[in-house]
Amino acid sequence: MPNSRPNLHALCLLPAGLTGRVCELRGDESFCQRVREMGFGEASLVTKISGTTTSLCLVNGTRIALNHCAAMSILVERLPAGAR
Amino acid sequence: MKLPDHITLPAGKRPAKGPDRTPIYAMVGNPNCGKTTLFNALTGLRQKVGNYPGVTVEKKIGITYSQHGRPIQLIDLPGAYSLAARSPDEAVLRDVLLGRREDTPQPDRIICVVDASNLERNLYLVHQLLDLGRPLIIALNMMDMAATAGMRIDAKALERSLGVPVIPCEAVNGRGLVELKLAMSRIELPLARHRWDVPAAVAPAVAELQASLTGNDQRPPLVARAEALLLLTDFDTIRVAGSRPLSARTLGVLAQWRERWSAEKTDWSGALIHSRYAAINTLCTGVILRGRDQGPSTSDRLDAVLCHSVWGWLVFAAIMAVMFFSIFSLAEYPMNWIDAHVAALGTWVKGAMAPGDLRDLITDGIISGVGGIVVFLPQILILFFFVGLLESTGYMARAAFIMDRPMSKVGLNGRSFIPLLGSYACAIPGIMATRTIENAKDRLVTILVAPLMSCSARLPVYLLMIATLLPSTTVPTSTKAGIMLLMYAFGTLGAFGFAWLFKRYLFQGGVPHMIMELPAYQPPRFKEITRHMLERGWLFLKNAGTIILAISIVLWFLTTYPKHPDPAATPTEQIAHSFAGRTGHLLEPVIKPLGFDWRIGIGLVTSFAAREVFVSSMGVIFGVEGTDNDPAPLRDALRAAHWPSGAVLFTPLVCFTLMVYYVFAMQCMSTVAVVKRETNSWRWPLFQIAYMTGTAWLVCFVIYQAGRALGY
Ligand SMILES: Nc1nc2c(ncn2[C@@H]2O[C@H](COP(=O)(O)OP(=O)(O)O)[C@@H](O)[C@H]2O)c(=O)[nH]1
Repeated sequence: MPNSRPNLHALCLLPAGLTGRVCELRGDESFCQRVREMGFGEASLVTKISGTTTSLCLVNGTRIALNHCAAMSILVERLPAGAR
Repeated sequence: MKLPDHITLPAGKRPAKGPDRTPIYAMVGNPNCGKTTLFNALTGLRQKVGNYPGVTVEKKIGITYSQHGRPIQLIDLPGAYSLAARSPDEAVLRDVLLGRREDTPQPDRIICVVDASNLERNLYLVHQLLDLGRPLIIALNMMDMAATAGMRIDAKALERSLGVPVIPCEAVNGRGLVELKLAMSRIELPLARHRWDVPAAVAPAVAELQASLTGNDQRPPLVARAEALLLLTDFDTIRVAGSRPLSARTLGVLAQWRERWSAEKTDWSGALIHSRYAAINTLCTGVILRGRDQGPSTSDRLDAVLCHSVWGWLVFAAIMAVMFFSIFSLAEYPMNWIDAHVAALGTWVKGAMAPGDLRDLITDGIISGVGGIVVFLPQILILFFFVGLLESTGYMARAAFIMDRPMSKVGLNGRSFIPLLGSYACAIPGIMATRTIENAKDRLVTILVAPLMSCSARLPVYLLMIATLLPSTTVPTSTKAGIMLLMYAFGTLGAFGFAWLFKRYLFQGGVPHMIMELPAYQPPRFKEITRHMLERGWLFLKNAGTIILAISIVLWFLTTYPKHPDPAATPTEQIAHSFAGRTGHLLEPVIKPLGFDWRIGIGLVTSFAAREVFVSSMGVIFGVEGTDNDPAPLRDALRAAHWPSGAVLFTPLVCFTLMVYYVFAMQCMSTVAVVKRETNSWRWPLFQIAYMTGTAWLVCFVIYQAGRALGY
């Protein structure tokens, strides 16, 4: 996926155990809105727990599972380990 | 721009409109916030489950009593993260609250259940509800979970900043219920005090939409304002039958603003969501006190194993094995018991009544028809016990997570797995279990393919055919088991193949994104599980008691009339003479290319009641009594059957083809009835009959004709 910023990863590529900040949502309008309404929008922090195809993450203290397609559409900026 | 300070209508005035009118309260909340538990705790068994007319959304209504003993009607609305609808369930929620539904009056008060352990996200919905200006009570549920997560929530502070009653509670332990009822019983509710800033650039759009909604859609000003705000994030894209549509004028205004924003490339809906969250963050500063980070919780540690790419699969496989084993082997005892008692009841009625058509109708039509379906009750209860257990411990979401990848290969999501697995026992509970699938298209596809999984009612047919096909003495058991497994494989492949086909061609453009919350693990609550199990069991019995009863009577009529002119005719002659027999003859040209004659045709007609009826019909047609326990005499009779030309009827090829026919054909009226109920229309069950039976015919035609050409 071509990235405008080099340190942006799709959420599914964020290594397990690391935290990232959501920078950009791709995908259709209704998906972006749902993600934002779930408190998962731009600037929120996500910690990846596991998975590359189906991802498991921690957002705001809630565990959320995303399928590959959803995790590909969320671009995060990787934060240094222990940033949380 | 500010919302007015006091946006709540005087609460006491509404319910008092007529002295006899029961006030209506709606319960809303995010998924998994404990809304159902709270609803059950408030209403007990005084509940009614139905459907919203025109949509497949479940409508749950219960009665509770105020502190003064006045009845209150509670509507349990579908769970949602936001009033901006993305699915039919959410559209129903939105339309009920906005008073857009014709079948449901606008609720007098709203009880919003909030998960305290996840307050910020839950407050998003609350924030939208506050805009509505309706009397609101917040039930701050799961206080125990919040405490476990190291949070302290100051409910009083939240109440002060919002201005509406905030009642801390724990629905599972019944804590806070009394306080909640007290709040519900108050004649006047305090007014919402919260204010927030709508981004200035959106204000003109809100104002124009609000004016149009008040002028053209007859909305009261406050509701119009809330609806205007909602339309700007929602655009009214999802509409459901039974809801009043917006006026053309309002839709015009909306389209105009939408066009303008997309030309300007501004994302105002994103900005609105953002400003709501900003307001919520300010609200929460004095309300949530987080303790020190406590490190990974028990749920985190469990997830490390249960969602692991190797261990997760092993545990999942083990759980499924136990579930499958219980459905098949544990259920056998109660099933035998029911079977024996149904038979005994039939015999008793036969002895107690004078011979005649009425007696035969009761014994051969009603008792054996309904009894043949009720035997599946134990399997249904066991399946729902497991579904309930997995749901209440929080494992169900993990199972869906694990299965998501393989299921996505055919375009389904992980939640379809359990219903499909359950369909190996019986398609009915499987179809009823599809209610856990949120995506309407995925749910429908799962319902459409579920009956292809080989259910236990096919077993007697398979067993009889295998017995007829292979002499028991010379052929090793493994060959027979192999044929049986082959049938299961056909069914499973068929189900996945059709799921893929339907998702690709019939339900294109379904949302491929899945986001699912994984609730924290909890110890199982057997009271809730039992309740869930009994509720589903009862729904099933109600079905058996109505539609299945009716079809049993019709089928009985078809095999009994017209009467054979000779009163001493044997049952074989009678059935040949009946409408069913004639239908068999009529069917013969259609099924002859599959190698079936009219007598098999009768079996196909009668086994529409339930597949296993095929065996007893064959017993009647070929004049063999007592076919249930020992297939040997019937097997021999079938082997001796011939075409008028003298050719053997049940050749190995025909036996095999017949089994394949039962793999694919929709031969089950109860499934038809349940699909009708679950999809709320006749369209899908009829489609299912057409595509499944059509496939069965085609596949059998190919097998039989190819087999013949190869000299079998
Ligand atoms: N610990 C705890 N669990 C709860 C509470 N209320 C509900 N639950 C559990 O949360 C799960 C989801 O509840 P449910 O009522 O099905 O949620 P719904 O999706 O909002 O209808 C169930 O397993 C309940 O037992 C509570 O106050 N405390």
